[in-house]
Amino acid sequence: MSRSVRLIFGLVRALLPHEKREWSDAAAEEARMIGRPGQALAFAFGCLAWAAGEAIRSGLQKPHRQGGEDMGLAHQLRGPRGTGLVCAFAATGLGLFYMTSGGAPTGYLVMNAGAFAFGLVALALLGLADDRKHLPAGPINLLLGLTLLAVAIWGASAGGVTRWAALGPLIIQPSLMIVPLMAVLFARSRDPLSAAGVAVAALALALQPDRGVAGALAAGLVILVMVRPSLGATAAAAFAVVGFGAALAQPDPSPAMPFVDQILYSSFAIHPLAGLAVLAGSALLVAPALARQRLDTDERLGRLVFGGVWAGLIVAAAVGNYPTPLVGYGGSAIVGYLLSLIAFPRRAPSEVELPGRNASEATEDGGPVLCAATR
Amino acid sequence: MVRSRALSPAARRVLEALVQAGAAGLHGYDLCSQARVQSGTLYPLLVRLEAQGFVTAHWEPSEIAGRPPRHVYRLTAAGRRLAQDNPVLRSVEALPVGRLA
Repeated sequence: MSRSVRLIFGLVRALLPHEKREWSDAAAEEARMIGRPGQALAFAFGCLAWAAGEAIRSGLQKPHRQGGEDMGLAHQLRGPRGTGLVCAFAATGLGLFYMTSGGAPTGYLVMNAGAFAFGLVALALLGLADDRKHLPAGPINLLLGLTLLAVAIWGASAGGVTRWAALGPLIIQPSLMIVPLMAVLFARSRDPLSAAGVAVAALALALQPDRGVAGALAAGLVILVMVRPSLGATAAAAFAVVGFGAALAQPDPSPAMPFVDQILYSSFAIHPLAGLAVLAGSALLVAPALARQRLDTDERLGRLVFGGVWAGLIVAAAVGNYPTPLVGYGGSAIVGYLLSLIAFPRRAPSEVELPGRNASEATEDGGPVLCAATR
Repeated sequence: MVRSRALSPAARRVLEALVQAGAAGLHGYDLCSQARVQSGTLYPLLVRLEAQGFVTAHWEPSEIAGRPPRHVYRLTAAGRRLAQDNPVLRSVEALPVGRLA
């Protein structure tokens, strides 16, 4: 069994509820017996679609207690972060359908699926660190901002634009991986170090230049300032807006790449269903920000910034030659989306857990609270 | 008795393939090939049919020595009746021209 098929069946097993995992094992054994790799891969993807459907069905059902019995990943997918995971999975899957319809090379599909699996692992590790309070926004954002600056100076260039990094055979776009995470971390903790990191990132995006991500960062931070103005947030948003303006002022002659850019339109030329898949997948990206789930104040801020950033990236893809996230070819956006789901808690806080917030309390950076916490 | 329109074309093909396999049963991939259904369609169907008592699923030793066991699917008596009541619907184009006169 090839590595990719094994990986896919690992996902299948994780997505299915306990009582159906034996079926997953049976299907995996069948895939092992298939001699032709392409057919085995198609068989595996079919099973993945089945497992995803089971996970979504399970997530939509009302929860019922069974004495704390572990019901597998499907049970975990009911929380706010689970909603985001399901949306990411569905969007990636719709993208795979679109690329298959358009005759994209098999390697494109494997790359996106592999990026999804990698992103899941990365999110799991990030979540563990967060649980143990080992995710300080300030130092992390500063480090990530400096990383983007390094890419702007020493990264891989094409057509006068320097926004990629070569990791062995892989060419990644770090801004798509890093900036959404930075934005939601900043929404959670608007301290000076975190703001400095965002400012450095805005500078890096202006230097690269990367209008798409710069615009998305500005969109997310402007939303933050509108909902919860503070000195730190306003300064960071100002840097982001200026950086976006600087990026706009520079030429960006990047041509549209097949299956990457402009696919919101070109997908319809393949087939109406392919076009609908791309549109639906893109809409799913902002769905977690709109979901009616009870969150505390900081988590709501994170959700709004998350929605602003990903909406900004979709708009960028619609108006320019910028990657259409998740539904197009490109693992960087997939990883970036999954990492940014750290903005959402695994479970919505219960009525007992929800902290009682007073609207007159000052924030940690001294700004007034416009949006009082409600239950 | 299940109405003849209750099952999807894919379900009917799966039942027909299992009828033809008889007591020997079929493995999953063979069932996909013979019934011409994708794995994403086959497995939820098998799960449902097994839960409803129309199909049995058992782990049996592989024909190839040293390989892990595989699931084999067979129809129960109720499954054979279901297949009989829900034959595969042939397309109109496949009918002899004389039938349309």
